[in-house]
Amino acid sequence: MAQLTMAKALNEGLRAAMERDPKVLVMGEDVGKLGGVFRVTDGLQKDFGEARVMDTPLAESGIVGTAIGLAIRGYRPVCEIQFDGFVYPAYDQIVSQLAKIHARSKGSVPMPVVIRIPYGGGIGAVEHHSESPEAYFAHTAGLKVVTCSHPADAWAMIQQVVASDDPVIFFEPKRRYWEKAEVDTDAPLPDPASLWQARVVRSGTDATLVAYGPMVRTCLDAAAAAEDEGRSLEVLDLRSLAPLDFATVLASVRRTKRAVVVHEAPRNVGLGAEIAARLSEQLYYEMEAPVLRVTGFDTPYPPSRLEEEYLPDLDRVLHAVDRSLAY
Amino acid sequence: MGDFRLPDLGEGLTEGEILQWFVEVGDTVTLNQPIVEVETAKAAVEIPSPFAGVVTAIHHPAGTTVDVGSVIISFTSADAPADDLVPEPAPEQPAPVEQQGALIGEVGPGGRTATLVGYGPRAGTATRRPRVDVPQPSAPAAAPPPETAARVSAAGVGQAAARQAAQVTVLAKPPVRKLAKELGVELAALAGSGRGGVITREDVEAAAGEGAAYASGLPAVLDAGERRIPVKGVRKVMAEAMAQSAFTAPHVTEFLTLDVTPTMELVQRLRAMPDLEGVKVTPLLLVAKALLLAVRRNPEVNSTFTGDEIVVKDQVNLGIAAATPRGLVVPNIKGADRMPLPDLARALQDLTETAKAGKTQPADMQGGTITITNVGVFGIDTGTPIINPGESAILAFGAVRPMPWVVDGQVVPRQVTTLALSFDHRHIDGHLGSQVLADVGRVLADPATALVWS
Repeated sequence: MAQLTMAKALNEGLRAAMERDPKVLVMGEDVGKLGGVFRVTDGLQKDFGEARVMDTPLAESGIVGTAIGLAIRGYRPVCEIQFDGFVYPAYDQIVSQLAKIHARSKGSVPMPVVIRIPYGGGIGAVEHHSESPEAYFAHTAGLKVVTCSHPADAWAMIQQVVASDDPVIFFEPKRRYWEKAEVDTDAPLPDPASLWQARVVRSGTDATLVAYGPMVRTCLDAAAAAEDEGRSLEVLDLRSLAPLDFATVLASVRRTKRAVVVHEAPRNVGLGAEIAARLSEQLYYEMEAPVLRVTGFDTPYPPSRLEEEYLPDLDRVLHAVDRSLAY
Repeated sequence: MGDFRLPDLGEGLTEGEILQWFVEVGDTVTLNQPIVEVETAKAAVEIPSPFAGVVTAIHHPAGTTVDVGSVIISFTSADAPADDLVPEPAPEQPAPVEQQGALIGEVGPGGRTATLVGYGPRAGTATRRPRVDVPQPSAPAAAPPPETAARVSAAGVGQAAARQAAQVTVLAKPPVRKLAKELGVELAALAGSGRGGVITREDVEAAAGEGAAYASGLPAVLDAGERRIPVKGVRKVMAEAMAQSAFTAPHVTEFLTLDVTPTMELVQRLRAMPDLEGVKVTPLLLVAKALLLAVRRNPEVNSTFTGDEIVVKDQVNLGIAAATPRGLVVPNIKGADRMPLPDLARALQDLTETAKAGKTQPADMQGGTITITNVGVFGIDTGTPIINPGESAILAFGAVRPMPWVVDGQVVPRQVTTLALSFDHRHIDGHLGSQVLADVGRVLADPATALVWS
């Protein structure tokens, strides 16, 4: 097994998907010659040619619109939106067309399009480069939304989403691109259904931290620090945001009776609100505390010198745990 | 002395070609003076000098392609001679230059991973800052939480919140409410010991007389589709008492169906009597009186069987089985056999009200000698009651309903009920048991009998 960064794991996963199926295409800004700003598509154009790995104009609406046409003709395009904040020109294509065609055609036209979006903050970048727009897409029926948090998961998940016949928005936590872990690139691909399942990444008994993407690492660090204080925190990685694997969340919170949802995206109408609502619907009499949320603030993403104040960190997570346990 | 590395001139650049140098070794440059033109994948860019000083070396001639991050030119301070090779502290560098110290993807000074875009991510801390305070959830009655406060702009809204809080009579979180429901504890009657008057789990357990026994943490709901109700308190006492009685004393139950129309008429007349004003006169009262008269004629039924002897009690402590929110309780009226009817009525009324309020004291339930269970209130005809432990008989009083009845050879509607008497056959034989039941029946069928036996 190799020690790979998440960026390299994604690169290897994409390479495997392209080798497996000649219909798989990669397209986006600077994905070819440059190999992507984050090196996720590094070397793919060299090995698969300019017909399969295409540098596109700086026009996200065109990238997704072209991908939709290619998908109708039987291709499996993997689009890269260079940064989260660049996706909005493509939003109309994604919501009005990509999400609808399968239903519009009464199921006769599948839409095997993957839209990769590096998202989230923490790299000290400028405006439009640090946003967490996942809720916009999770709210749209017809789209699936998944996000990875670990190199091994990234390697498998990128291949699973390419194999999916439904359109998938694949969020990559950009500040975790350089974190390394063991990745078995010879392992068989997991069962396709596993793509939509949440995972308990650390077991605990006192409270459940529900996280995804970049915040999984933060929550694992928080759980390790909490252990020193004698508290046992369970950490869930949601992995799939739409559909949401609520059964796993429910099973965990039924045991711990306390939940804290952590995400970088702003609080208002975010994933945390949905999870809190469902938990109160289903575990009203069992939870010992209201579901608490640790999130970004309801402001535009701040200038990079202030982002460490904006992003949920270990202290903010543990502060919420303190509040939850005080009930 | 300072080294200048080729910076990232735009998103995603890894290298650039040096087109031309504007300076030579030995030249003195000022801050922001253009020193080199570099062509990247996107554009040709003139790069300004981040230093003021003298050029000591140019590392790459024009025409070469250089990786981002490589040193391309070196300077010495403007004040120092050009051949002074003694290292000096580096001049204060602007922030972007500091970032050039590491190759892309590697950790540089400051713990940040070098990236093409942005300062690069920094590994988070794995330890916690010291706590400033230990947060406490604020009760609804207390100040609104900070988030709410921050959003409240109009002054009037705060007052509305306070008004609303004043109307909240019970503060308890859902699992505690659920526990209270299961234990039959009325939350409104409790004073919360938690912050801001919140009723805690301990408050509920104490009210249910449970104490720590319940705090074992057994989840009340383990699975969808079934409820686990802990057997504690009244329920547990009931379970133990009934099992002990049923499996110790051999029970015999006898039934008697009879016309109680005269008794029902008497109830109406008694209600109008000034002596009984202010007390409830019910059929149960007359059944109690009838049983007390039957016990007077058959005192051995008012007894306890200990195994070695039969202890016959001089006084009748008349138990009345009562369904309460917490389960079955059997309080008794001490010395019921010596009470005139109005006193007995009052005692019966007090006992019932206390039981319904869930406030029956343990002393009220001890020392019973014989019991009545009024299953008729549930619309039930009769049953086979289980004797209260320590006693020898129990009378079940069924529903009274209009039924066809033969009187003097004619079928006429009459008020009819069924009595059932269970007795401990270890020491009460069929003769004695039957006589007790028959005597009760005689009084109810013709209340004038009571005058004869009094």
